[in-house]
Order: sequence, then structure tokens, then C-alpha cells
Amino acid sequence: MKEVELDCYGEACPVPLVKAQNKLKELEVGDVLIVQLDHSCAMKNVPEWARKEGHNVEVEEIDDGEWEVVIEKMK
Amino acid sequence: MSDEKKPDQQSTGQSSIRRSTSSRSSGRSRKKKKNQLPIGIAVLAVVVLIAILLGMKNELLAFFWITGIAFGYILQRARFCFTAAMRDPMLTGGTSLTKAVLIAFAFTSIGFIAIKYGAFARGLPIPGQGYVVPVSFATVVGSFMFGIGMVIAGGCASGTLMRVGEGFLMQVLSLFFFVIGSLWGAHDFGWWKLHVIMKGKAIFLPDLFGWIGAVIIQLLVIVLLWIAADKWEKHKNA
Amino acid sequence: MAIKDNEYYKKFLKEAWPYVTGAVLLSLFQIVTLAVTGSPWGVSGILANWGAWLYQAVGGSVDKWYYFASEGAQRTLENGILNHGGSMRNFGIIFGALLATLLASGFKIKKIKSWKQVVAAILGGLLMGYGARIGFGCNIGALFSGIASFSLSGWVYAVFLFIGAMVGSKLLVKFFM
Repeated sequence: MKEVELDCYGEACPVPLVKAQNKLKELEVGDVLIVQLDHSCAMKNVPEWARKEGHNVEVEEIDDGEWEVVIEKMK
Repeated sequence: MSDEKKPDQQSTGQSSIRRSTSSRSSGRSRKKKKNQLPIGIAVLAVVVLIAILLGMKNELLAFFWITGIAFGYILQRARFCFTAAMRDPMLTGGTSLTKAVLIAFAFTSIGFIAIKYGAFARGLPIPGQGYVVPVSFATVVGSFMFGIGMVIAGGCASGTLMRVGEGFLMQVLSLFFFVIGSLWGAHDFGWWKLHVIMKGKAIFLPDLFGWIGAVIIQLLVIVLLWIAADKWEKHKNA
Repeated sequence: MAIKDNEYYKKFLKEAWPYVTGAVLLSLFQIVTLAVTGSPWGVSGILANWGAWLYQAVGGSVDKWYYFASEGAQRTLENGILNHGGSMRNFGIIFGALLATLLASGFKIKKIKSWKQVVAAILGGLLMGYGARIGFGCNIGALFSGIASFSLSGWVYAVFLFIGAMVGSKLLVKFFM
């Protein structure tokens, strides 16, 4: 059970999504990946991808225009 | 996306994903969120004021301004992105924006053909034919360059303008160089026109297939592409 | 209750719309634009005018250029940016997006993070600007408006744009990430 933070502040699409995809591949089932981002498009496409893959996803708004996408790897 | 959970900020325990409190940002001393709504309302007032001022000078200018506001607002709220529609199928396997763009193509085609045919049937000049441009090797080179550029810059023309409005300084820079590149292209345009574009031909599909034929063929192509995009996504996620 | 917890505020001003909602509304305004102005929506041709005005401001002249040689193009340049409908629409896109983020309380200045981003922005901007001029437009004017205008050029543009985007993705992952 690991928890990994991925800093994507200041990154535009598709960088956050590609980074998240690569990072999640390295993790084990049950690990949690926290993607920190401030790009409103990534705030939509990162959770959308992760849900479609069947992971547990939560989006938390941590400040104006800053979000954390919390992904629990399920498979 | 409607099922997006909005975790309650106060009760950290409600989250279904277990996170250690140390990493949880709500556990840290975090900045108090400011409410930007008042600034938003002030900007709205400025937008309306500009519309009124433009309208007093020239109603068409006000129309352009208001539709610009509408396009920008819609693009941002829907996170609509033409770049992602072209890029994501291969890069990330997602096609939801690709499918949405195809839907926009279909609806707009129907509206446009109605306007165009309406003018044609009454013997009036068909509007918007300036956008039916020659197909030549310049189309191939230009669109290929544009495709590379929009992916590495993180947004096409409309996307760059939208992201400038969202506060991306990187896109301010790419907008500036977009303008410079446009000037460069305009400078060379005479050469391209003489040597390449003149060899091409502008083709208005109704001239080729008839009005009804063009509508049927175009909508059929859009539907087939939509199905292909849907199957592609399922295949990539299987 | 604070306004930001109000369900109608969230629905109308805060939460992202589905992509399809965006598609339908963009289509609606495209059709309105063609009906009112006689031309569909375009973005990048206007940026070439911005370039010309910028060039004139630093003492250059575009009068001899084929691209700006027509009477109409000259008149547009003479009338200036504040009388140019297309420029108003492009400014409107910036302000519309700003308005949307502020009303959603999600505005943030995003600084440039690295030299890679600087290079990507410059290279991408130049490629897009030049490509849009010789290809008769961008994703809006040449692709969206071109296809919706039943022009074969729109479909050809789509094919090579897609191939360009694939090459761009490879470059992005390799050099700019």
C-alpha cells in the first residue's frame, strides 16, 4: 500500500494524463496515485480515463483552479 | 461525468479511498479558498458594457464580440478541445472528444446546408462559399504542420485563445508566435499560391453529388467515423 | 448557505458540461454566425491581420504582399483592429473563457514551468501560424467550418491534421515531457 503524489502543476494537456498513465502502470493494485493539477481540461480527462479503466477515483478541489485527482488502482 | 463525487471538505473520513492524513492536503494547513465570483460578476459587467459601446458604434461589431464571448464560454465550460479530439485516440486511447467533435460537424452541416440551399433555391448568392477552398499540396503541408504544432503547443487557435483566458502564460507565448507564424505564412503565401494552390481545385460537395447526395454522403461518413471511434476506444481499453 | 454550495450555482456556473453539450451549443452559434454574417466561424485568418498590424507598428509594410494585396484586405488593415469584427470575436473568446473560469471560481495564473515549455510554445505557435496560412485556416476555419460548408478541403485537412497530430504526439512524449 503505497501513496504516490504526481506534480502536474503548470502542465497542459496531454502531459498530466500521459504522466498519470505511465505512473499508474508502475504501481501495485491497492496503491493510491494523487495527481495534482491546475489545468481544467486535465481535471476532466484524467478522472474520465481512470474511471473507464475501472479504478476508484475522487476529485478534490484544493484551491481556486487547483485539483487533486485521487486514483486507487483496482487492477 | 455527472456522477463525479464532490468530497465534503470537512469530513475527511467520508472518502472511500483511504489516504494517509499526512499526504491529504486537507490535513495540511491550506490557504483559505477565495471566492472569485465577485470578480467574475465585475468582468461580466465589463463584457456587457463593451457590448453596449460596440453596439452604439456598429451592431455587427457587437454581434462578433458577443458570439466570441459565447464561443469562449462554451469551449471552457465543456472543456471542448479540437486538439484533443485529434490527438487522444492515438496517444491515450480516449475518443469521447473525437465523438463530440463529429457530433458538432453533423449538426453544423445540417444548419449550414439549410442556409446555403435556402439561398440557392431563391436564386441568391450562396453564403460562406469563401470557406470552400482549393485542395492542393498546400492543404496537405499546412494541415500536417498545424497538427504537429497544436499538439506540442497544447492547443490550437481557439484552444490557445481559451487558455490565455484561463491564465496559461505558456499559451500567451504560443499565441504570440502563432501571430508571427501567420505573418510569415502570409509573407510566403504568394509563392504557395503561384506554385501550389493554383494547381488545386475548390470542390463544393453538392456540385459533385447533388444537394441531397452530398448531405447523405457527408452524414454517413460522420456516422461511420463515430462508430470507428467508439470501437477504437473499446478495443484500446479491452 | 454559501453560494458555492448552491446546487443551481454548481449546475449552471461551476461543473464542467458534457462534451456533447459543448458540441450542440458550438453548432448553434456556428449556424447563427453564418446566418448573420454570411461567413462561418474562423480564428486564425484574423491572427494574420494581427501580425500585419504588429509589423506595421514596428515600421514594416505588407502592402506589397500578395496575401494583403486585395482591396478588401487593405481596407480591413486601414480600418484598424478596433473596427475589425473578427478581432472582436477573438478577444471575446479570451474574455468568455476568463468569465467562465472566474464564475466557476477556478481562475489561476499558470506560470511557465520549464524551458521545454518555452521551446514547445514557440515551435508550436510558429508551425500553427504558418500551417494555417498555407492550409487556409485552423481547426475552426479550415476543419470545422470547412467540413460543415461541404468543402472537400475540410476532409483533406482532417486527414493530414490527424497524421500531424500523431507525429506531434511522438515528438511531445520524446522531447517535451
